[in-house]
Amino acid sequence: MKTSFFDIENWREIGATLARNKTRTFLTAFGIFWGTAMLAMLFGGAQGFEGVMRRNFAGFSTNLGAVIANRRSIPYKGFTKGSGWNLTTRDVELIRQLAPAIEYSSEMNSRGATAAYGSKTKSTTVSGVEGDYSKIMIPVINEGRFINNGDVAAERKVAVVGKDVATSLFGNESPIGKYISLNGIYFKVVGIASQLSDVQINSRLDESVILPSSTMRRAFNSGNSIGFFLYTAPPGKSPSDNEATIRRIVSSAHSISPEDKNAIEFMDISETFKMIDNLFLGISLLALFVGFGSLLAGVIGVGNIMWIVVKERTQEFGIRRAIGAKPLDLTIQVLSESIMLTLVAGTLGVCFGALVLGIADKLTYDPLLGHAGFELTFRAAIIIVGLFFILGSLAGTIPAIRAMKIRPIEALNDR
Amino acid sequence: MDYALKKDKVIELRDVNKTYPGIVPLHVLKDITLDIRKGELVSIMGASGSGKSTLLNILGILDNYDSGTYHLDGVLIKDLSENRAAELRNRMIGFVFQSFNLINYKNALENVALPLFYQGIGRKKRNALAMEQLERMGLADRAHHLPSELSGGQKQRVAIARALVTKPSLILADEPTGALDSKTSKEVMQVFRDLNNDTGMTIVIVTHDPTVGAATDRVIRIVDGRIENNV
Repeated sequence: MKTSFFDIENWREIGATLARNKTRTFLTAFGIFWGTAMLAMLFGGAQGFEGVMRRNFAGFSTNLGAVIANRRSIPYKGFTKGSGWNLTTRDVELIRQLAPAIEYSSEMNSRGATAAYGSKTKSTTVSGVEGDYSKIMIPVINEGRFINNGDVAAERKVAVVGKDVATSLFGNESPIGKYISLNGIYFKVVGIASQLSDVQINSRLDESVILPSSTMRRAFNSGNSIGFFLYTAPPGKSPSDNEATIRRIVSSAHSISPEDKNAIEFMDISETFKMIDNLFLGISLLALFVGFGSLLAGVIGVGNIMWIVVKERTQEFGIRRAIGAKPLDLTIQVLSESIMLTLVAGTLGVCFGALVLGIADKLTYDPLLGHAGFELTFRAAIIIVGLFFILGSLAGTIPAIRAMKIRPIEALNDR
Repeated sequence: MDYALKKDKVIELRDVNKTYPGIVPLHVLKDITLDIRKGELVSIMGASGSGKSTLLNILGILDNYDSGTYHLDGVLIKDLSENRAAELRNRMIGFVFQSFNLINYKNALENVALPLFYQGIGRKKRNALAMEQLERMGLADRAHHLPSELSGGQKQRVAIARALVTKPSLILADEPTGALDSKTSKEVMQVFRDLNNDTGMTIVIVTHDPTVGAATDRVIRIVDGRIENNV
């Protein structure tokens, strides 16, 4: 069946009708334009904001757990309150064997030291780690390589220097293969590393020197004592899933009261990140809520204006009915106007939103960290325009039904 | 019902009644029986409130009646759906109104072509057909003018062209000269007369103007909802 919807006259008429009331058309279109632009900007902006914030944790495992030795707070088996103890490599072995939810782990020892190369010196933090440390705190390798498990097993006297340390000691010269001294002990430099995020363990990687954990313990005479134990839980598990097992192992090995929660400090970073995730979720929901509010305001504007249009054109619709327009013809005419207005203004709004997001993405681009994510995917853009199209059509439906119900005789008498 | 007998009658009303409901119901048309044959130029005259406009609305399928029968060109007009009524109005009736009822943002050609749009005829063809009617009305040079750029007489001739463009069985004119001066009224009536003479088009004019009535072949006088004379 041929309908007036596909007739070019229908669309010419729509153009003419919209053009006749320029101010009203502009204001209505602006409402839709702004509604879609706001929704697009808030939607993409929330993503971008999250991206910017998450860049602070780039390279840092968010499901990280740590076990740290503290002084006893409860006297137990001859040990007084306030007496100290140290985690040992034996504890680490047992934890790795028995804890149910460990993916990657590394012992970590840190201490201050003076790094020297030739006549140049720099105060730095020296940390001893195992190979999997690079999977817990993913470093940026500027040159060479990172510490690996082979270095740990063979107790190699190798070092990875932080970027800032390398610059201070070597200037523009490559340090790879050269020897630096740490408190007078020499280590061969095998790599330069830096970190992406602002999150740090002890000190920033850029300002540290990293050694194999075994080499560090031996070089600085710490025996089998370790500073703390870091690990990540596998996907779907929480670092806290290991807490009971770890407490049991460590309490028993070091004569710590099972009630003494303070002696074994247990950190679950994932809890903090869950809060951050919830915060981002809240921001996204708020953005969507505000965006949908703007969208709704735009849609109500369309419905309102189409209602006025129908009221104003009652007599015209009466003339049309008298000369042969069917109720559906008038419904299509009114709906076409609202759809046209919605689609054109909505598409422009989404394009504007995408443009603003594109500018924001360009401004927040970081050569190392990449794009923050201020973007609107094509799919999201289509969904927004589609949503507006559906809501705009619904908004036009009530006036269109009114137009359909206009009786020609009453409309012709409408002065 | 003998359809063959009715063939030459464009309008055939039998005992048509119309009452407007209300606290005091208003019986506007009382047992109207009326035949109008093909090719007649007829006027329906009556005082204000006599029921002539109601009769015109019923004849134009713009309003329903309560009882009786109305055949338009052999088709029973009763309890029609809105769509069917619109289709019959478009195909069988051409309206001419006192206040022209042109769409003010469409030019003369577009106004005349509009009924064809609702028949689903393509733009080129409907413009050609509309132009034919404008030429017949001597308004070819005004085809692209908006109603606001036309005189009263020209507007009414555009309205007549619009009424003719679908080649209807009947032209219904409601006080077609009511908004015009006497000179222009005469011109418009001459248009109706020529149209009737040249094409045999059936034309029904509702008026209270005796001069208009005098210019038609037959005057149907309606008083208080009844046909007083059917000369």
